[in-house]
Amino acid sequence: MADDEFRQQALLHLDALHNLAVYLTRNGSEAEDLVQETYVRAMRFSHRFQPGTHLRAWLFQILRNTFLTFYRLRERESALSEDGVPESEAPMFHDAPHRDGESAGAHMDLDRALTKLPEEFKTPLLLAEVEGLALEDVARIMDCPVGTVKSRIFRAKERLRGFLKDYE
Amino acid sequence: MATERMDGQEDDGGMGQLLRERLTRHPAPAMLRASVREALEPAAVRPPWWMQWGVPAATALATAMVMLLWIAPSLPSGAGADPAQLVVRAVLAEHARNIFWGESRTDVVPAALPRAMEESGVALNWVFTGDEDIQLVNAKPTYLEGRRGIELAYQDSAGHTVTYVIVPGGSVALPERGRVQIDRWKPVVRKENGFSLIMWRQQNLLCVLASDLVSDEDLGRFKQYFVKVRSSTEPYVIY
Repeated sequence: MADDEFRQQALLHLDALHNLAVYLTRNGSEAEDLVQETYVRAMRFSHRFQPGTHLRAWLFQILRNTFLTFYRLRERESALSEDGVPESEAPMFHDAPHRDGESAGAHMDLDRALTKLPEEFKTPLLLAEVEGLALEDVARIMDCPVGTVKSRIFRAKERLRGFLKDYE
Repeated sequence: MATERMDGQEDDGGMGQLLRERLTRHPAPAMLRASVREALEPAAVRPPWWMQWGVPAATALATAMVMLLWIAPSLPSGAGADPAQLVVRAVLAEHARNIFWGESRTDVVPAALPRAMEESGVALNWVFTGDEDIQLVNAKPTYLEGRRGIELAYQDSAGHTVTYVIVPGGSVALPERGRVQIDRWKPVVRKENGFSLIMWRQQNLLCVLASDLVSDEDLGRFKQYFVKVRSSTEPYVIY
């Protein structure tokens, strides 16, 4: 794939990458840094990308690997400090579309519940259910077998259901 | 794609649909979009880097040289550096490289191992190649702090990378502080720069395991990996 075409194709996935970055970092500016770094790496290693394979999945994989290396420790440290999700790390809501009060409340609860999930559960759930990636692609991104992905998604949903009950 | 995706999943009571319909989406802000576009632009259309950075860089370099000349006499000499700490830093750098660029090639390990042993000067009478929890995925020679050694990369079922480095370490003294009893051994366990490390001596070799398993629960798992590796690997120096 020519560089120019690669750039154009890669940019099509900017919103999806930013969305995942926000849920991983729970911080607007860090999410932007993470997405920037993802694109820089993608360009640097664009020669490794095999045309015909799934560019979207490849970009998600780079984003996740970058996140794990640079952000994971910080996430763990802060998670230990406040029994789950510190207030300061709540995801940004200013980009959310305006909705009526009840619906916005449901949004908040779901978002908050999602941030409580560990990364190993949150990422496959978002990739498969929200971004619509095939389980095989998610498995490649997570670097684990498809069976593990299925089990993590199942357990993520179980936990989400539990969290949402708490908010009722 | 959707059929493929749902085929393998249990009935989730509408949780997937709830996520798709109700979860807040965070589209990229305009500023980010612009900066990513700019970052992706071909270098040819941007002004040469030295036009932007040349003058400030030269000024900074000159300032740094003056500062260095001024404070150099008071700096501690490199001779006092802790050799174990130097090896630890080098192992962590290798581990970070494994996370980013390490290849998971279980198919080539049987061929890579003899080559790695031959080129590193460290041979393995026995080597732990994995079980249902963790698998040996790569082997290569390495060069750390002036020492030739061998580097093995493992990957566990949760996708964590564990790097195992073995280098000649006759002169490297391990600290007594941080020693932890694990099974029948007492290696040094420490956390450094967000990674966990287990160090021990075996024969005349310094062995280091590195991973990102840092939480209490994960550290327990890391110690189990240590026991597996320690009890099933027997390295020695060839020359």
